[in-house]
Amino acid sequence: MAFIKKSPGSETLAHEERRFARDCAGLALELESADASERRWAARDLADCPDASALLLSRLQREDDASVRELILSTLTRLGDEVAVLGLVNCLRSENAALRNEAIECMKQLPDEVAPIMQCLLADADADVRIFAVNVLESLCHPEVESWLIQVIESDAQVNVCATAVDLLGEVGSAAARDALLRLKARFADEPYMQFATDLALKRLAAN
Amino acid sequence: MADTPISEEEFQKFREFFYRKTGIQFESSKRYFVDKRLVERIEATGNDTFRSYFTMLRFQASGEELQQLTNLMTVNETYFFREEYQFKCLVDSILPEIVARKSSRSPIRIWVIPSSSGEEPYSIALYLLEHWAGINDWDIEIISSDIDTRILAQARQGLYSQRAIQQLPVRMLQKYFSRVGDGYQLCDDIRSAVEFTRVNLSERADTRAYRNFDIVFCRNLLIYFDDISRKTAAETFYDALNPGGFILLGHSESMSRISSLYKVRKFPEAIVYQRSLETR
Repeated sequence: MAFIKKSPGSETLAHEERRFARDCAGLALELESADASERRWAARDLADCPDASALLLSRLQREDDASVRELILSTLTRLGDEVAVLGLVNCLRSENAALRNEAIECMKQLPDEVAPIMQCLLADADADVRIFAVNVLESLCHPEVESWLIQVIESDAQVNVCATAVDLLGEVGSAAARDALLRLKARFADEPYMQFATDLALKRLAAN
Repeated sequence: MADTPISEEEFQKFREFFYRKTGIQFESSKRYFVDKRLVERIEATGNDTFRSYFTMLRFQASGEELQQLTNLMTVNETYFFREEYQFKCLVDSILPEIVARKSSRSPIRIWVIPSSSGEEPYSIALYLLEHWAGINDWDIEIISSDIDTRILAQARQGLYSQRAIQQLPVRMLQKYFSRVGDGYQLCDDIRSAVEFTRVNLSERADTRAYRNFDIVFCRNLLIYFDDISRKTAAETFYDALNPGGFILLGHSESMSRISSLYKVRKFPEAIVYQRSLETR
């Protein structure tokens, strides 16, 4: 026995029988295949097709294989079109915690696409969605992050939403957040965690 | 450096941010190393303070500065038998599992990416020859890829400086290398044991053909990628590996922070990631 050389493509699809055409209609069918590997490849290649986001989002709601779900979410992130972003927002309302977290991770990668809807998310009637929106801000590369967080701690009545925002302000905030933090501390004077969190954030801001 | 001191709070803030972005954790003992490089980038980008630089680092949409800083914070060098404990893991823990479940005598396939100038794939070939008894019973395919065609040409040539071979035992140096000028050239037998190919890991058309591997070595590459590229790479490796196949990353890299597709395997020698056996 020994080291041998073959071309890397010697054991590829080129030698397998294709069950689906590689055009958009074929890929849409392949996305519904019983075979997870075929669904993953369809999720990748659909990126080049129009209306891919709607197809991927539809499959995402029914997909129970984690590897396929991850591929679908990656493709949606790369597409980043309006349909994809709104579909990811809908995932924030899912009862499926894994799917919610996956959607948050995707949205963090889409600062320009998520920015126009961030005000709406931060004003959502559901406090959980508002917390998830703050979670998105945690790694969102966007210049408005600090002002959005200040807006949250100035106006949100829900203590958990504000606490999530304060934790993040400690890291990304500037002197501009100082007065809002002091007002928040006074607003939640009976909440020990809020006292601790605002003090820590203020200390970090003072160190800047 | 005295003009832009970095406070303890700033260091902590940076450390948390950098860890989240790259998975690289700096201990307090690395403070001088980190400060020195931060100050270098603060000055190079025309910033006056850590604060203004950190804002730029966080909010720059292209992520270019984070990439520059990451390059600076990582020691970009390679040499024979680098992180040798992983090769020991390959021989003592990984290959026995792979061999035990192989249903046919098909070759064991190993993909090494990036190839860089060849030290890593050649190290694997040398280590298997010297330390794995199974080499007499099994065919091995080693395919090594890189995006840079110049570095691939260099790898095929197999010519190395003193620095690259300094971890090799003298006995192996004498057995497998010959002196050429100031350097050392690897013998033809080993050079011909590795297939070098050009691959852009972020390009679907490039990676589609890479399938049925038992092991992937991808060490110290993903730290240079942004989050989405890192995830895409993890997904590419998933479909490149056979079910139950293994992936080895650099010592500062963690697949758990990139993708949930893999199982963590803690072997005595190293932590390795595995595609589940039951998957299709």
